[in-house]
Parts: sequence; C-alpha cells; structure tokens
Amino acid sequence: MAVSVDPLGAATSAAARPDDWTFRVEDLTKRFGALAANHAITLRVEPGEVYGLLGPNGAGKSTLVKQTIGLLRPTSGRITLGPFDLVADPDAARQLCSYLPQAQIPIDAFRVREAIELAGRIRGAGAKDVGQRAAALMDALDIGAWRNELGQRLSGGVKRLVGFAMATVCPGRVVILDEPTNDVDPLRRRLLWDEIRSLGGQGCAVLLVTHNVLEAEKSVDRLAVIADGRLVAEGTPSSLKAADRSQLRLQVMLAPGRETPSMPPWAGPALRVGHNLVTRIAEADASEGIAWAAALIDRGVAEEYALGATSLEDAYIRLTSHLSSDDGGDEL
Amino acid sequence: MTAATSSEAPTTGVIGRRDGVERGARRWRRDYASMLRWHLASLRIWMATLMSVQVLSGVGFVLGISLFFDHIPQAVALFVATGVPVINLLMVGLILGPQLVADQKVTGSYDYLRSMPVSRSVTAAAWYTVCLIGGVPAMVVSLAVAQLRYDLALHVSLMIVPAVLLSCFTATMLGYALGHGVGNPMATRLITQMLIFVVFGYTPIIFPITQMPGWLGALNWWFPFRHMAVVVRAALTPGPHPGVASAYVILAVWAAARSALAGRALGRRP
Repeated sequence: MAVSVDPLGAATSAAARPDDWTFRVEDLTKRFGALAANHAITLRVEPGEVYGLLGPNGAGKSTLVKQTIGLLRPTSGRITLGPFDLVADPDAARQLCSYLPQAQIPIDAFRVREAIELAGRIRGAGAKDVGQRAAALMDALDIGAWRNELGQRLSGGVKRLVGFAMATVCPGRVVILDEPTNDVDPLRRRLLWDEIRSLGGQGCAVLLVTHNVLEAEKSVDRLAVIADGRLVAEGTPSSLKAADRSQLRLQVMLAPGRETPSMPPWAGPALRVGHNLVTRIAEADASEGIAWAAALIDRGVAEEYALGATSLEDAYIRLTSHLSSDDGGDEL
Repeated sequence: MTAATSSEAPTTGVIGRRDGVERGARRWRRDYASMLRWHLASLRIWMATLMSVQVLSGVGFVLGISLFFDHIPQAVALFVATGVPVINLLMVGLILGPQLVADQKVTGSYDYLRSMPVSRSVTAAAWYTVCLIGGVPAMVVSLAVAQLRYDLALHVSLMIVPAVLLSCFTATMLGYALGHGVGNPMATRLITQMLIFVVFGYTPIIFPITQMPGWLGALNWWFPFRHMAVVVRAALTPGPHPGVASAYVILAVWAAARSALAGRALGRRP
C-alpha cells in the first residue's frame, strides 16, 4: 500500500515549489559540546549544478554531509531539498541523496557488476534499467575489464570508481561525492570528472567534497570554502580568484632542514607546508621575486622555485591558511 | 513534475534518478529482497566457512559429549542433542552479527551502510533471514547426527517452527542491539567474547538447570537463553513440557525490547 506524504507539512519553506528541487542549507549549526563543527552555514545548490565544498580536514565538511543524509541531527537550522525537509524526514534524505563516502565501500565479496547493479536495485531502479546504466558507467569509467572481478582483488583506485558507479547508477536529486578521485589514476580521473559533469547535465545537484582545489576549479560551477566550521567564502571559481588578480604565486622548495627565510616586505602572507613555501606577490614585483628566490638557491636555502599565475588554490590558501594538498600548514 | 510519493520507484527520463520518496509495503518487499541479496553477497567469501564451523561445532558437541561416558545415558544424549540446535541458532545473530557491525565501524563503511535508502526494519529483517540461513542447516545436521549416533526418541512437532523462528529472532535482535547500540567497536568485540562463555558455561542450554547453583538457575530465568532451550526442546521431544508458554512470553518480550532498542540505536542521530 502506498502512503501519501506531505513532505513538509506546515513547515514548508517559502522558497519551495512543487517543481523546485533546489538543495538548501539554512543557518545550519551543529555543536558537539562546546565545539561548533558547523556554525550558521547557509548555502544552496541548484539542480544541474556541481557545487564544490572545500576545506581542510576538520573544517566541518563531513559534518555537513552527515546531517544532509540523516546520520547527524543539526543543533539548529534547516536542510531542505525542494519540498522535502531532510532533517525532519531522514528516510526521504536517504532516498533522495546518493552518497559516496570518503572511506571505501565494503565490496570485497562482490563482483563489480553485481555491486553496481545491486546498489541501483537498492535505490529502487528496475533490473533492466540498472543493468544498462551499470554497463554504460563501467564503459564510461573504463572499468569494464574488471566487471566480473571480486572487490577484494581490485586496486584502491578501481574500487573507488566502482564506489562512484554504485553511488550514481541510480542517482538521487542530490549526489554527494566525498573525495571521489582519491587513488584514481590520472587517465580515469578525467573520465570520472566527465561523469560528474554529466550528473549535473542530468539535473542532479552534485555536492563535491574535496581537498583537490586544482581539480575542482576545472569542474565545479560554484564552490564554498569552509574553515573552522564556518563558510568563509562562496562563489564561482572566477569570483573567488578575483581578489588575487594582478597577483602572482611564488612557490619556493626549501632545502631539507633549512629554516624558513624572512619574507621580503613586498611579499604577501606566506604559508609553509613541509618544504613548500608559498606566497603571493604583485605582478610589478615579479623581477624582485625571481631575484629573491634565486638568491635563496644560491645560498643553499632553497632548491628550486616557481612563479606563475594565481589559481583557485591561492584563494584557498588565503581563506584557510592551508595548502589543498596538505592537512595543515604554518601561516607565517 | 511533483514530489508526490508513490508505490513505484519514481524516475524520469534520466535513468533511475529518483524524483520522489517511495513508501509502503511494496517498497518494503522489494527492498527486503535487495538487502537480503546484499547481506548474502557480502558474506559470500565467508558463508561456506561459517556454515562449516556451525556444523562442525554442533556435531562436535553432539559426538564429544559421549566421550565423558562409557555408555552415555539416553537422557543425557537427548538433552545435549536438543540443546545444540539452540547454540547453532544463537551463534550467527548473537556473536557474528555484532562483530561484523564492529568491523564496519572500524573500516568506515558503517556510515555508507546506514545511508542506504532502505528502512531500518528492512535491513533488520534481511539480516534475520541471513541468521536463519546460517543457523537452521547446522541445526538440522546436528540433530541428524545425534539421531544416527544415539538412536534418540525425538518427537519433532510443528511447534519447532515458532520455536526456531522466535529463538533465532531474539538472538539476532540481542546481537543487533549490541552491535548498533554500543558505540565502541572494541567494547562490542569484548562483550561478544564474554557472551560466548556465558552461553556455553552459565546458561542451562546443553545441561539441565538442576545442575546449576540455585541462584544461577534463578538468575537465568530473567535472561532469554534458558527459554530458547525450553521452547526448542519442547518442540523436539515428547511432553509434557512445563513452562513452555511462559518461555514463549519471555522470549517475545526480550525480542520486542531488543528490537526497539536496536531500532532506536540504528535511527539515532547524535
């Protein structure tokens, strides 16, 4: 017997219309004791949009995702998908959101095709549809050679791609991908990004959680940067980079065991992660920057340097004091 | 396009994309079949080993007990032979189940499994079916070997069906509540290790309650294991069987209480 449900009842959001499938997070706060893992976060993702969620470890990205799919309850605030209140109705959240977690999906005992098809069946798709879609996904991701292989015999990268196929074989209105490219080789990584873009083309709202700013820059329509539980910036990659226009990125690889050199006055804030020292300089100071870096190499303080155009990564560094490829860094 | 719910999986021209929320009995049945396939497939590598261990441990108990006697009394053989099936029914749901959940928490796959778009009752029902599949064949083999070895006066009644179903369900829900309710995987493992000793050494399943200290026998009245043995033994031997009705009631109460606890633990959103 089918049960008809008024998704939001009296609490219908003013913005929600029957044909409106916008994913909205409104003033969301999640506290664990005194710690605010998410603090007053507000964002929205339109159908068809690939939305990046960037931030260092511990920034609160996973907490936001877990509240979306009904594994954590917000302390305050709302999460809605079109007419559905995902906080009040976690069953709807699980049905309407597809989720690829950062950890590998447990498929050791499954054959690849079986795992993808079964994931689609569990999401409610018919056997014929799911078979066709699974075959198409395996071809698109170039993992067809492993279709009858057991999961325990797969490399981490192929397992990741299988997990992606499982999450998207019958996608929800929101597709949440947590570090989807982890362990994936460069060739198949491109195929994976194509598939992520195509999810947007199919009308899904894709929420992409990643550290990989450079890859995200090419693939997301908009993104949010989260740091210390707060949304510190949101916009298109171009708009986030706007503050760094007429700036150059100077990256110096320090020699092992060498102290961080004192920064010249014309350099912007610097960040050191491991042997990497990264700063921004004005285009007009390019020649001084080159001379300074070359002098460091001459003195044995540094081994090499690179000067180039700023990227989204520089905006990310400016906002979070982290390099995207590292878990932490020291702001200087 | 509307967000109305329906009994069909709502999809669009996009292959499989869900555009609504589906509820109802039809969805439950379909999800149950899918989750049963999921559970069985996820245990594929271990299922043969698990069944073998179940059979070997059951048969080992049945045959091993005779080593204590020059000529084993029929009453002893009958008691052990009708107690071993309970052990077979217990092991998967009570011991293996929570250990698997503990492993999922350690490997990080627990969140994925909880995010699957199926109701908690579907997941539990599918797992219960797996526990039956893992327990009943071993139970049958244990009984068959006991019959062949000791030429027992077994009298299998139709009550074996509710006895097996309820005993296995109670054990499964005990394990389910333990696995999902205890947050620390290491604690879950330690408790299940302890339960093995409790079940074998301190509950009157394969030995009579009269062999236990009075206080321990009385204590066992409050726990479900003794009652599982009572209902299963009553269905396998000629009567009379005093205390069977109350055993069913106590098992039902335990099953209901643990189901509620497991449901709460599974649906918990801290």
